Amino acid sequence: MTREQFIKRLLEVFGEDNEDVFSKGFENGWLEFEDKLYRDDEINRKNIARIIHLYLLKEKGISDLKDISKAAELRDLYDCRVCANHVAQVYLRDIMSAKELSVNGGFLWFDLNGEDDSAAIEDYLIGAYGITMNAQ
Amino acid sequence: MIMDSERPSQITDNRLRFDSFQGSDEPLFPSKKQRLPAMGWNSWNAFGSGNNEELTKAMIVKIKELGLDDFGYKYVVLDDGCYRPERVNGHLESDPVKFPSGFKAMADTVHAAGLKFGMYNDIGTKLCSGAEVGIYKHEKIDCEDYINWEIDFIKVDNCYYMWDNATFADPENAIYSYAPNIRSITIAGSTYSAVNDADITGTRASVKDDYVTFIGTFDGTAPDHSPAGLRSSELVFEVQIDEPGYYELVVSYATGKEEGVGRWLQIAVNSDVVFDDMLPETESPESFTDSAPIKLKLVSRFNRIRIMNHRRQENTLNSYTEIRKELENFGKDRDIVFSICEWGKTQPQNWGHLVGDSWRILNDITFQVGADGNNGTAAWESDYTTSITSQYNKAVIMDEFAGLNKGWNDPDMLVIGMDGITETMCKSHMTMWCMMNSPLMLGMDLRRVNKGDWMYNLITNEDLIALDQDLLGIQAKRIFTTIKCEDPSNEYIRDNNRVDVLAKPLDNGDVALAFFNLKNEEHSARISVSVDQIIGFISNNMSKSVVENFKNASSYQLKDLFTKDCKESSDKTFSVDSISACDCVVYRISPVA
Repeated sequence: MTREQFIKRLLEVFGEDNEDVFSKGFENGWLEFEDKLYRDDEINRKNIARIIHLYLLKEKGISDLKDISKAAELRDLYDCRVCANHVAQVYLRDIMSAKELSVNGGFLWFDLNGEDDSAAIEDYLIGAYGITMNAQ
Repeated sequence: MIMDSERPSQITDNRLRFDSFQGSDEPLFPSKKQRLPAMGWNSWNAFGSGNNEELTKAMIVKIKELGLDDFGYKYVVLDDGCYRPERVNGHLESDPVKFPSGFKAMADTVHAAGLKFGMYNDIGTKLCSGAEVGIYKHEKIDCEDYINWEIDFIKVDNCYYMWDNATFADPENAIYSYAPNIRSITIAGSTYSAVNDADITGTRASVKDDYVTFIGTFDGTAPDHSPAGLRSSELVFEVQIDEPGYYELVVSYATGKEEGVGRWLQIAVNSDVVFDDMLPETESPESFTDSAPIKLKLVSRFNRIRIMNHRRQENTLNSYTEIRKELENFGKDRDIVFSICEWGKTQPQNWGHLVGDSWRILNDITFQVGADGNNGTAAWESDYTTSITSQYNKAVIMDEFAGLNKGWNDPDMLVIGMDGITETMCKSHMTMWCMMNSPLMLGMDLRRVNKGDWMYNLITNEDLIALDQDLLGIQAKRIFTTIKCEDPSNEYIRDNNRVDVLAKPLDNGDVALAFFNLKNEEHSARISVSVDQIIGFISNNMSKSVVENFKNASSYQLKDLFTKDCKESSDKTFSVDSISACDCVVYRISPVA
């Protein structure tokens, strides 16, 4: 799924008009210019995490979980200082899950640069929508 | 086959070599100023990647309204997230959404307010945000642009670095940062076993079966390792020969591409580096093979042959040096603070003084940065680097690396005003940073600060700032801790169930003395330190007459730097009876003749 397709689908799931998505996202600070520039690139997991997190925060008023220490079980959490909080927020809210590797006794990792299929991404969006429903 | 473009540069300047790090106070650039720690506001902790032109302008207005520049907060630094994520005709550009007027316009706005303008980049190919505008291979063009934009400060990060496998880099880059596993060397017909016939220096390398592994340098990004002492390992053979002359050396080695085993080998005879290159790959880290003969000149009968790889440090220094060199080249007359932000990864306390004005000592103090309308979150303690005490615990034993003729340890930007920490914790945080001569970069949304409120009072406490900016430029030394240890000034302690006492000599002959309770509960037992104890730890940074004046004073005036209470005492010991949880007490002590 490309970045643009993902963003449009996000808005569809939340029942919002998905025209002129980039302007809306820039205005409210939940999209980056790179999302428009690389709109046709496949979206990776760290960017899915970023966009979902910031959309929930900025558009839906879902405050951050303050204690993200449990997310440190993800081996690669701190490999990306700009993504760490985005990843932690969607992981701890069970919107996106970890991957498990069996190397060296096994560990969890987020796979920041990995890509997911459309079905998995749909699950994330439905999970995100569920968070807003529960918050009401 | 690895192409030249895919390998680190040759090191032609011996001042960039490991052997030159120690004991050298001479910077590589004569123009490097004897600066005090930088003070200002940086966008990262306040707004993360969400900073923009409007917010930055609002911060400038607040700096002026609050008069923060009068207290020394002069630099306004744009951190990550401000660039267009790709170059345009080879040049950097501002993010067109966040900074539509461009960087020069932003610089002009900052300068028009009488402030100084700072920017950000990365020694690698990308910024930490992933934007593909890292400075690597663009040093000339980028530095020329930075000079044209009239920057006064640059923070240079270390994400996506090509020649290191450590945090946030490709793990297979270990080929550059570690030597191969070594089983033996053969020279002049004699074979010397790495395990039985060589000495291992430092604590990084170790013996495994019949070979030595982990010949290289620790990754200092996480808080696991002490910064004190020798942080890298070599394998040293004492080789005796009959006659000086040319000899051939063969190394029995096995390569890998993971933390601890690589392909890059350096060989030195005494202090002369005679080999500095990649070895051919072997099947596995335990499939040993013989190197091609390496020609050596041995000039005496007794020789120290050093098998090593210091490239983790040398490559990083080299990359920072390239940037500094180009900034000097294009902007000889500009006074630019060079802030090294490689997070302690390559032990920059050993080499940062050669090229930079400060060096980060760990990964970030928080990853939960704020946004417009969100304060972000920080912590008092954590298992990783993400807390005030994690940063403090490492920085507090790094005083010997800092100074006016070197630069400053940087335990990251201030987190005052973030959620997750109390006013008391912020008070101790500010005091720690001032005692440790750390750069003071504010990281809150300044629109939340008003004259007279607790944040304003804390960040404008002139008595504290005077410690940080004291002209003597000596970082405080830990002279006592309630945890049992042999040397409080040098021991890396991560258990926060303790009280520390720090002493700092000041330019006018006074001494600052701070008591920090790191515990989450009150410390109710009296803690005292004597004049002799203080002098015993810090006298090497004081002139003889100042030491004598302090030691032999008939009494002392003690000023509490928070309550501003002054008292005079003829006691030769200074005490506190109790300290609240996470709190501190700090005195400026003036000897009275």
